[in-house]
Amino acid sequence: MKLKNLLWVVVSLVFVFVSSSAFAAGVIKIGVQAPITGSFANEGQGIDNAVKMLVAQQNAKGGLLGKKLEVVTCDDEGTAIGGAICARKLVNDGVVAVIGTYSSTPAESAEPIYARAGVLQTSDATADSLTKRGYWTFFRNSCPNSAEATFTADFLVKDKHFKRIVVLSDYSSYATNLADATIAALKKIGGNVIYYGKIQASSQNFTPILTKIKSMNPDVIYFSGYYTDGGLIRAQEVSLGMKAAFVGGDSNDNPEFFKLAGKASNGVYMINVPRPDILPYPLAKDFLRDYQARYHMMPPSIWTLFNADGLRAIMYAIEKTKTTDTKKLAAFLHNLKDFPGITGPITFTKDGERAGSRFMAYEIYNNNQYKVVYKED
Amino acid sequence: MEIFLQQIVNGLAIGSIYALVAIGYTMVYGVMKLINFAHGDLVALAAYVGLTVLMQAFGMHITNLWAIILMFVITALFISLFGVVLERLAYRPLRKAPRLSAVVSALGASLAIENGIMLIWGPNIKVFPSNVFPNMRWHISGVVINSTQIAILLLSVILMLALYIFINKTKIGTAIRATAIDQDAAKLMGINVNGIIIAIFALGSFLGSIGGLFIGIYYRELYFQMGWIYGLNAFIAAIIGGIGNIPGAMLGGMLLGIFNVLIAGYVSNGWSEALTFVLLIIILIIKPTGILGERVAEKV
Repeated sequence: MKLKNLLWVVVSLVFVFVSSSAFAAGVIKIGVQAPITGSFANEGQGIDNAVKMLVAQQNAKGGLLGKKLEVVTCDDEGTAIGGAICARKLVNDGVVAVIGTYSSTPAESAEPIYARAGVLQTSDATADSLTKRGYWTFFRNSCPNSAEATFTADFLVKDKHFKRIVVLSDYSSYATNLADATIAALKKIGGNVIYYGKIQASSQNFTPILTKIKSMNPDVIYFSGYYTDGGLIRAQEVSLGMKAAFVGGDSNDNPEFFKLAGKASNGVYMINVPRPDILPYPLAKDFLRDYQARYHMMPPSIWTLFNADGLRAIMYAIEKTKTTDTKKLAAFLHNLKDFPGITGPITFTKDGERAGSRFMAYEIYNNNQYKVVYKED
Repeated sequence: MEIFLQQIVNGLAIGSIYALVAIGYTMVYGVMKLINFAHGDLVALAAYVGLTVLMQAFGMHITNLWAIILMFVITALFISLFGVVLERLAYRPLRKAPRLSAVVSALGASLAIENGIMLIWGPNIKVFPSNVFPNMRWHISGVVINSTQIAILLLSVILMLALYIFINKTKIGTAIRATAIDQDAAKLMGINVNGIIIAIFALGSFLGSIGGLFIGIYYRELYFQMGWIYGLNAFIAAIIGGIGNIPGAMLGGMLLGIFNVLIAGYVSNGWSEALTFVLLIIILIIKPTGILGERVAEKV
């Protein structure tokens, strides 16, 4: 028995050795770290689908550097622990680069492992801290939370020329940070914030504070909190007969907002990264057409497309530098400028941040349709 | 001045909802010396049931008015019945037990209802349609009043007056008051105490269900934990007015509504909830029985 067991171990070890060395020469492995299960499952599956589709398209064109591409997927379940486990697994699998993950927590826990192993990582996660740690392997393919504040300030002051601005927030750290950052950005470009107030989330009765704001005659109310409150604030604002415009931060952009606000939705401005179907770039139309043909559905959100752009930039780097040496690839990517992307031109800064803002401002008009009224490019 | 009057209008609308809900707390406390923590969740349940009935009714090709009447009637009946069943299951078996056991049972019932709502209707918010009451607004020298606010105020006052007359002028009302004063003596006088307790649970739940429907119609956003916040505010209103005292609950609700909007409007929106509790503490220190409370409930 003992001998037989030993034999099995030897045979399987030999097999593993032979298989990995024999095939590794012929393929370039691309990792996907994404929440395939858990509460972000549809987002994770979208990233996995997009990567598999782009890789299949590239392989149909003959792969890269004469080698086929191969996708290795790891499910991080959207958790910090899952992120670290996936990072070790993908590093052991010998991937060149990892696409994903969807959210900031698992991206952050995986970051140092990829950096130590010299594996490139490109994620749509929006936490500012991700590019602040000095890891040369990390590239953000979306834009950080702080970009929204600058964009909002530009929209309010430079585009709409609002003179009397009211900022509202709830007490959550997300909404407070966004409101504080927006006020700082407004002050920098000479915006006039006449009042900064906070509401209790889900207290539902916002008429007292709105009545108070009404007496200040504002041009615009900017709300940085969530749609569950935003929709009610807008509805109650209109029912008090107020004329001020309403601008909602990205967490207001939800179908429930329009249900809550009802007719008052008309004329609302939303600040958000665009929905896939209103991206103005030709590459986006091609991508969506191919994605729908292959999977018979739309990508779950814009975040799928950001990650697709991350992969496209890395494939482009491999093609141009003719190597899979990640040091050289990273150097190339850090100098990448205006590479045409699905979500707009791709430029990376020295710390792996995607330059420029991906945010857009929409106006909502009859029956909750979106119209892009302002973007920076 | 316009701003002040506008705030008073805002306060009266929310205050009458608090008052309707507070009556449920105060009636149960008056008779059973029990704080029915599940009452707030019954209010939330009423809003959800109302929305479901309304959506079905809108699909039945009847006029909006009939759909709304149907919503009020079915929801009120269902929630009253639910209140009676709740008493039978969660409180009656504990009637002879120490008072703390009943309070724990009430908390348990509250959690059960809250999570039941989440399981049936889901954790995401639900939204009431915006056209339940005709969308009319009046501008009276700078103050804006809408039809929903007027309807809420009127209906609440009518219901509260009806309750006041019922408690003070009818035979059952007299029996309820007698049971509240002394259960054993009431029993000796031939009053069916169980029947009275069923009646107050049905009545309190009925008024609470109307409050829940008003929350749905006025604010239009439902989420499964909402019962806790409205319940807590109404409970405070009941204590401010004098718990166990029905006119006290009405007064307390209105006062709390107005107090809330004045703090939010003139001091700070964020402080309005904190200062509500400060008000509660001050009233408990100065007049522990509440504004209209007369007798201390404790019996030796």
